[in-house]
Amino acid sequence: MTALIDLEGVTKRYGAITALDRVSAVVDGKIIGLLGPNGAGKSTLLKCLLGLLPYQGRARVLGLEASTDGALIRDRVGYMPEQEAFLSGMSAVELCTYAGELSGLPRTEAMQRAHASLYYAGLEEKRYQPIDGYSTGMKQRVKLAQALVHDPEILFLDEPTNGLDPESREEMLRLIVDLPERRGCAIVLSTHLLPDVDRVCDRAVIMHRGAVRFAGTIDELRGARGRDSELLVSVKADAARLADALTTAGATCKVTSPVALHVDLPANKTSQLVFATARAAGVQVRELGVRRESVEAAFLRVLGDDGAAPRRPLYQVALEASRGVAGSTSDGGGR
Amino acid sequence: MSTGQIHDLGYKRYVGSRRSVATRWRVIMRHQMATAWKTWWRFKPWFILSLLAIGISTALLYAFSGTLFRVFLRAGGAQPQFVAVILPLSLFWSNAIAFFASLFVAVPAVAGDIQSGAFTFYFARSLRPRDYVIGKLVGIAAMLSLITLLGQVVLAAARLGLSDNLDQVVDLLPTLPKALAIGVLGTLIFSAVPLGFSALVTKRSHAMALWIAYYVVFGAMVDRLAHATNPAIGALDLSECLRAVALELFDLRMGGRRNMDLPVGVALISIFAHVTAALALVFWRVRSAQRTGVGGAS
Repeated sequence: MTALIDLEGVTKRYGAITALDRVSAVVDGKIIGLLGPNGAGKSTLLKCLLGLLPYQGRARVLGLEASTDGALIRDRVGYMPEQEAFLSGMSAVELCTYAGELSGLPRTEAMQRAHASLYYAGLEEKRYQPIDGYSTGMKQRVKLAQALVHDPEILFLDEPTNGLDPESREEMLRLIVDLPERRGCAIVLSTHLLPDVDRVCDRAVIMHRGAVRFAGTIDELRGARGRDSELLVSVKADAARLADALTTAGATCKVTSPVALHVDLPANKTSQLVFATARAAGVQVRELGVRRESVEAAFLRVLGDDGAAPRRPLYQVALEASRGVAGSTSDGGGR
Repeated sequence: MSTGQIHDLGYKRYVGSRRSVATRWRVIMRHQMATAWKTWWRFKPWFILSLLAIGISTALLYAFSGTLFRVFLRAGGAQPQFVAVILPLSLFWSNAIAFFASLFVAVPAVAGDIQSGAFTFYFARSLRPRDYVIGKLVGIAAMLSLITLLGQVVLAAARLGLSDNLDQVVDLLPTLPKALAIGVLGTLIFSAVPLGFSALVTKRSHAMALWIAYYVVFGAMVDRLAHATNPAIGALDLSECLRAVALELFDLRMGGRRNMDLPVGVALISIFAHVTAALALVFWRVRSAQRTGVGGAS
C-alpha cells in the first residue's frame, strides 16, 4: 500500500544553511501532527512535498515524486495557510469557487463544492459577504473551506487554531477530527499548540534542525517513557497521608492534589506496594495507572537539550556561516 | 455562524476529470476581467468615457466628410484635411483614458496579490508562474483593448464607411490594419508596463504612485529633454513612442515639433523593451513568490 508521505534522504540547502538534512521517514495515518520549533524545517519540508522547491533525495506524496509531479500532487492536496491568503473584495463563495477552478474543477462543480465546503466549515449564512469583514474565526473557516473545495486526499493545516477563542478552537478541532472519517482525507497538522496535537492527532512527526527526531504514534511518543515504576495514584481523600506512608516504605512521592499523587516505586517493587501501604494507612485507592508523559513533555524530551537553546534569527546564522564562526547551527526561522 | 454541529451536504468524492494545468491561465484571465468589471470605479468610468470620445470623434468624422463642409472649406481656399487627422489624433484621448484605466485595472493586479498574501492561495495549487502571468496579462489586455483597440478600429471602420465611392474605400483600406496595429501597441503598453510596476513593490498605492511618476512626470521630463537635446531621448516616453508610430503609419507631420523626429524604429524598440522588461520583472517576482509564498513562517 502506498504511504501518504515517503521521504528518503531528503536534503535541502539554502547556500551554507542546511534546512533539511537527509530526512527519511514514512508517514501514514489519519491525523498526523507535524511538530518542531521555529526553524526546524517544517515549512521547507512542506514546500518540497508540494513540489515548490528543488531538493536532493526522494520525496513521494501519495506515491507521486514531488520533484517531478508537483502539479499533480497539488491537485490532490489541500493547504490551509497560517497567514491570511485571501483576494480582497471577494466573498467566501467566490473565493472557494475560484480555488476549485484553479485546482482544475469545472466551474459548475467548483461552485457546488464551494457551497458544500463553506456549509461544512460552518459559514452557511455568511458565505456571500466579503471576506474582508470577517472575524478571525470566520477567516480560519474560509481558509479550511478553500483547502477542501477541490476534494483533496491530504490536507496540510498550518496552525489552524491560531488566534481562535476557546469555542471556535473547539469547533475547528471537531472539524479536523471529523474530516478523515467523513471525507476520507488524511490531515497533516502543523502546529505549536501541543494540546491540540494531544487532542486530535493519532501520529506525530517531530522535526528539529532539519532532521526528523521522531515519527510514530502519539502513544509511542508518550508511552516510550512510561514505566511500571512511575505511577499516578488517585485516592478518595488524604493523599498526603499515603505519600508519607509510601515514602517510609522507600518510594518517592509528590502530592499533586488532596486526592492525587505521583509515586516512583523503589527498585524491585510493584504496584502491590501502593495497595498494601494504602490499606495499612487507611486510605482508599480509587485509581492507579502508569504515569505517562504529556505530549509537551515528550516533545521537549525528543528535542533534548537543543530544544531549550535560544533561537537566533536566520540572517545571523547566515552571517556567521559566511564568516565561518565556530559553533553556528542550521537553525533559522520562517523558511 | 456554526451552531457547533457539523453539517455536510451529502459529500461525494470527486471522480470527474480535472482541467489540464496548461489551461488554468484562463481561470485567472476570467477572474481578472470579472474583478475589473464588477467594481464600478475600476474600469467602467473609463470605458464610458472612451465610448463618449469614440462617439464625438465619429460625429466629427461624419461632419467633416459632409459635402457641405467640403464646399465651405474650398470656398475659403482651405484644404479638407480634417478627416485624415481625426483617426491619428484620437490617439491622444485614447492614451489618456487608457492610462487612467491601467492605473485601476493593471497596476493593482500583482501588487494587490502580494499585499493580500494571495500568492500562497495561488501557488498551493497546481498553478505555474507563467500561467499566473499569462492569465493576468491577457485579462488586463482584454479589458484595456476595449479602450485602446476598440476606439481605433471603430473610427477606422467609420472612416471607411464615410467614403464617397468604392475607389476611396480601396484607398483607405490600409487604415484598418494601421489602426489595429496602433491599438495592439497601445494595449501592450498599457497592460504590460503597469503590470511590471505592479510587481516592483508590495503595496497597491505605491505601485500606482510609481506608474504615475513614470508615465506622467518622467514622461514629461523626457519629452522636454528630447526637445532641448536629442529627439531619440523621447523614446523613454511611452506616449511619445506610440504617437511617433501612429504619425509615421498615417504619414502625418505635425507643426514642425521636434518630437516628430523620434525615429519610428527607436520608438518600436523602446516599446518592446519596456514590455519585455516589465513581463520579465513580473515573472521573476511571481517565480520567487511561488517558492517563498507557501508554507510561510511558522
